[in-house]
Amino acid sequence: MNKLIIAEDIMQEHEVKGYFEILRESVIRSRLTMTVVFFKLASSPQGTDIERNQVNHQISAFLTSKIRKTDLLFQLADGVHWGIFFLQSSEVEVKAFLKRIFAILKQEREYQQIALKASITEIRNNSVNFETLLDKNKQKLANDEQPIWSIQQVTDYRVQPMEQVKVSIIEQNAIFRKVLETTFTHLDIPHFTLDVATYEDGYSFLQSETYKTGHMHLVIMNDILPRKNGLEILHILREMPNEKKFIIYMMSERNSEGATLNAYEGGVDEFIVKPFNLRLLEAKIRRTFARFWL
Amino acid sequence: MIELSISFLLTVIVVLLVMLFLFTIYLLLQHEREIRFAKTRDTYLQNYSQHWYNYLFNDGNFSMVLVPRGRAQVAAIEIIFSSYLKNITNEKVEHKIKEFSNHYLKKFYDKDLASKRWSIRMNALYRIADLQIDELLDTCQQFEKTKISEEEYFQLLKIYSIFRQELFIGKIKESSIHYSESEYRRLFVLLEDSVFIRLFEDFNSWTKNIQFAAIDTAAVKRHMQYIEKLKQLLTYEEPEIKIRALKGLYEIGVIDEIDPYVPFVASDMWEVRLMIAKIFKHVPLEYSYAYLEQLLEDDNWWVRSQAAKTIAENREGIAKLQQFMESSNDQYAIEMAQETVVRRQGIK
Repeated sequence: MNKLIIAEDIMQEHEVKGYFEILRESVIRSRLTMTVVFFKLASSPQGTDIERNQVNHQISAFLTSKIRKTDLLFQLADGVHWGIFFLQSSEVEVKAFLKRIFAILKQEREYQQIALKASITEIRNNSVNFETLLDKNKQKLANDEQPIWSIQQVTDYRVQPMEQVKVSIIEQNAIFRKVLETTFTHLDIPHFTLDVATYEDGYSFLQSETYKTGHMHLVIMNDILPRKNGLEILHILREMPNEKKFIIYMMSERNSEGATLNAYEGGVDEFIVKPFNLRLLEAKIRRTFARFWL
Repeated sequence: MIELSISFLLTVIVVLLVMLFLFTIYLLLQHEREIRFAKTRDTYLQNYSQHWYNYLFNDGNFSMVLVPRGRAQVAAIEIIFSSYLKNITNEKVEHKIKEFSNHYLKKFYDKDLASKRWSIRMNALYRIADLQIDELLDTCQQFEKTKISEEEYFQLLKIYSIFRQELFIGKIKESSIHYSESEYRRLFVLLEDSVFIRLFEDFNSWTKNIQFAAIDTAAVKRHMQYIEKLKQLLTYEEPEIKIRALKGLYEIGVIDEIDPYVPFVASDMWEVRLMIAKIFKHVPLEYSYAYLEQLLEDDNWWVRSQAAKTIAENREGIAKLQQFMESSNDQYAIEMAQETVVRRQGIK
């Protein structure tokens, strides 16, 4: 019976489990995709234990030399699987990485005895545990008829959870306020649900206290408003400890560099000069949310 | 002592009471009318705002219920239209508003132009421009021949500048009324580029206010095509034209060649030298540094300060200023350079 050959200089399956759970939760919190790759030797290396040990170390050393400092390489307990957690990376980047390393392995003479296959899992939600992840990937790689250098995919965890976003529209003009409300109510942003509320002045917005919840909060407001003006609200929101949750769009009739600079320096994310095209506003909002996930 | 009979006094009191009564009735009726007007307007707004939104934005069907019946409903439609036009740009919506206004609101504003009250006539002129009611252009030209105020004439010019720009250029040429610079700027900013650029063709024939307003408007419009026109104005003797042209070129922010600006480094006027120090912000420091160094040693504090700021804004600027401090003999210039370096490092 072949002896299990474990490379001792990389992390092992039992050590990685705890890390995985932290990283998986951080995917949700930071909205940054993580992708996991598993490799398997396509055919069991022939020869003596020493030779097999050599191949094993060669693979570990090769993968270690190719990953970034933010990636985590580990070997599974069975000794024939390796895994890498690619943090802040989508499936596209990881596929490109695999193509690159497979090309090197195929070309270089020193690696001629190595033949691998891989499976990729893109993770955008926290409904996966480490054991299930291993099982699913091992199953994908278990098929012996699967060609060498092929890349399989586990697609069960690639859909991010729906996130509720509070939208506050603060505009004095009732007709335009209604237009904005209708626009945002109908705006379909993948993976985000918009909870729209409208206010006719700054004071009623502050009184509502909706801005104190922990949700991501999109604020669309005029710079000039009755009771509390837009710049005052901007200042209050940006002084809050969790101010990063606010995405602030400021509308203004003043088309001057001074006013624009002042608003950006005060902390707005977008400054829109009235009159503006509603479709342009929608496009800007979509882009803002598209940046949240890789 | 004047003697008044009781019957006379009673008659006067009765007359005054009757007058007071009639006046009270009049006030009550007026108040009632205003309330009814506001109620009709608000009811229309409440009932048809969504209808209007669907028609204008969602290609909803046009319904005859939207057509105004009476002044109060016109006032409601004005509120709806101005809310959209002030806040949203959308060609399709603007076209629909224009079409509707020309069709259904024209008769109201036509009548308003004949009103005896100035405020009603002015309101009509504003609406004709805002809602693009070009079918009333002939009426406007007829209206111009009547005895109208300067403000009304100004609004008429605004209407011409939107609908018939040739006529507008002719009118400001022949006009005996002279407006302020800011008023001309408000007119010029509405002009299409092809018409606006013609103001520079016969530049000398315009009054000072028109000349200044044209230069300032070119700076606000910030189109590349005005750069050449503004550069041509640099040859004018009139200092104000020269300074404003430089300011306009600075605002546009594209300096394609440095040569036309170099002679101004030695200008007699500090305002010109100040503008040059500002303009060099848009020129790579390797080309402008020699001139900026000269401006850093200028007699005028503003020029020295601006030259130092312009140098400091460049990536290598601070090093250049430090080098300058070591080599220069001009104590004022050294102090300015020192102050700018300290301030700059403080910001970082």
